Amino acid sequence: MNLEPYVEFAKKAFSREATYRIEVLMEIGSLVLRVYILRALWTALYAQNAAPTNLPLHSMITYATIAMLMSLILEVDGTRLIREKIREGTIATDLMKPISVPLYFFSDGFGQTLLHALLVIPSLLCALLLVHIDVAPPATFAAFLLAFVIGYGVNFFLNFLMNCIAFWTLETFAAQLIVRWVSDLLSGQVIPLTLFPGILGRIVFALPFAAIYSTPLLIYVGVIPPDQWAASILAQLLWLVLFAALSSLVWRAASNRVIVQGG
Amino acid sequence: MLRAYAEYWRINFLTLLEYRANFVMWFVFTIVYHGVALGALWVTMRQFPSMNGWAFREMFFLYALWMAGHELHNTLFFTVVSVPDYVREGRFDRFLVRPLDTLFQVLTVPQQIVPDGLILGLATLAVATVAANVRVDWIFMVFVPLIILGGALIDLGISLVVATCSFWFVRVDTIRWVVMSLEQDFTRYPISIYTRGVRIVLAFVLPFAFMNYFPATFFLQKTEVALHLNPAVGLLTPAIGLAWLGAAYGFWLVGLRHYQGTGS
Repeated sequence: MNLEPYVEFAKKAFSREATYRIEVLMEIGSLVLRVYILRALWTALYAQNAAPTNLPLHSMITYATIAMLMSLILEVDGTRLIREKIREGTIATDLMKPISVPLYFFSDGFGQTLLHALLVIPSLLCALLLVHIDVAPPATFAAFLLAFVIGYGVNFFLNFLMNCIAFWTLETFAAQLIVRWVSDLLSGQVIPLTLFPGILGRIVFALPFAAIYSTPLLIYVGVIPPDQWAASILAQLLWLVLFAALSSLVWRAASNRVIVQGG
Repeated sequence: MLRAYAEYWRINFLTLLEYRANFVMWFVFTIVYHGVALGALWVTMRQFPSMNGWAFREMFFLYALWMAGHELHNTLFFTVVSVPDYVREGRFDRFLVRPLDTLFQVLTVPQQIVPDGLILGLATLAVATVAANVRVDWIFMVFVPLIILGGALIDLGISLVVATCSFWFVRVDTIRWVVMSLEQDFTRYPISIYTRGVRIVLAFVLPFAFMNYFPATFFLQKTEVALHLNPAVGLLTPAIGLAWLGAAYGFWLVGLRHYQGTGS
């Protein structure tokens, strides 16, 4: 398959995102303020309570800061385009083009993501003024990166599926935000999933959301030890395959019933 | 003007009765939004039962106070948030040529308002009041409604300042989003966890602390109040709300004088 057009789609999306410079600066500014809040929050909590044995204060701050940097990349909904194209009816012409439309959405989303990925470096530097982050050993960092890439895939398909709802009903905005908020909590972005008590803890670890933030982050801070890396990453891969298969089923059903809105 | 406003709400209410399915969807939406925030707090505080001396039920009351004020703002004043859209699309200009106060016209733009948030906010506050063992006496009955209103005015002031920015910079979506999410983040915890400079900002510059922190310390009879103020300052929220809104309205008037339109 010729990948050249998809590289072009990604480049286009990258430069489109890069035009909003003030937004980009504000994003970094708001991230720094939120890093400040998380430092204040966890410092206060650890000062007055018994710390969990596997997550001392420095690990918790590392966890929360890296979660925030990851969200710069993972909160970009690259497949928003599907919803817009369905509403405007241009999805019909896209389906006629000699390209794989899902792959087009992926490359467009990936291009947007790349720009936001560049923000990670200045954001990290600003965050380091406020907090100290543990540096993981190279092997751990490599495992973290691998888990992060798989988590990115799971997140992509989750967004893809949510946006595909627009093929059936045009009111998807509320449903999408609801899933986004629930996923923020259950994926371990807001708080580590290890804090969930008893049966709740077992449930959240069994859900697909855990593959997005929790697995890479727990690998990074050492809660998932090296001998369990393979099992955790395998679980992520299972979710990835499952979501990909589901997405391709939904996509096939959806493209069979394109409703043009007379855009 | 009051008659026009009453009529506006009568029409809103009638529209609401027409779209009952939507009403249910927005309820779920609001429950999940606040449920996620409170859920994260509950899980965290099972491991860490004390946040600078505040227990979860007290944090719940703190959140509920903010929620009630914030949702009252979203119900009564949400159209202010749309001002940047009106400006960008050129629809703002018609408010300027009509012989009524511009802000009043903005506040009465016909739209579909669902008071789901307000209903839930008040219900949550009632539950939190019981859960936190707050004594319901005449001071509570008189001041809590005023504090909710004051909180809504503080929020309106913020929305008005952001809306006014759109007279200079056309795209303010990001500012709006950042301000809204930071407001929720900063008001979720007692301001005593922050450093002194930030406490001063939250108390006197962007007075979010008056939406919930100061009133909550008063009603929960907390002995330690950030910035060593008398706990009774918590009752000043309505006055702070009016003053802050007054300042924001002044800025809005300055902005209106500079407003040139986008030519669209």
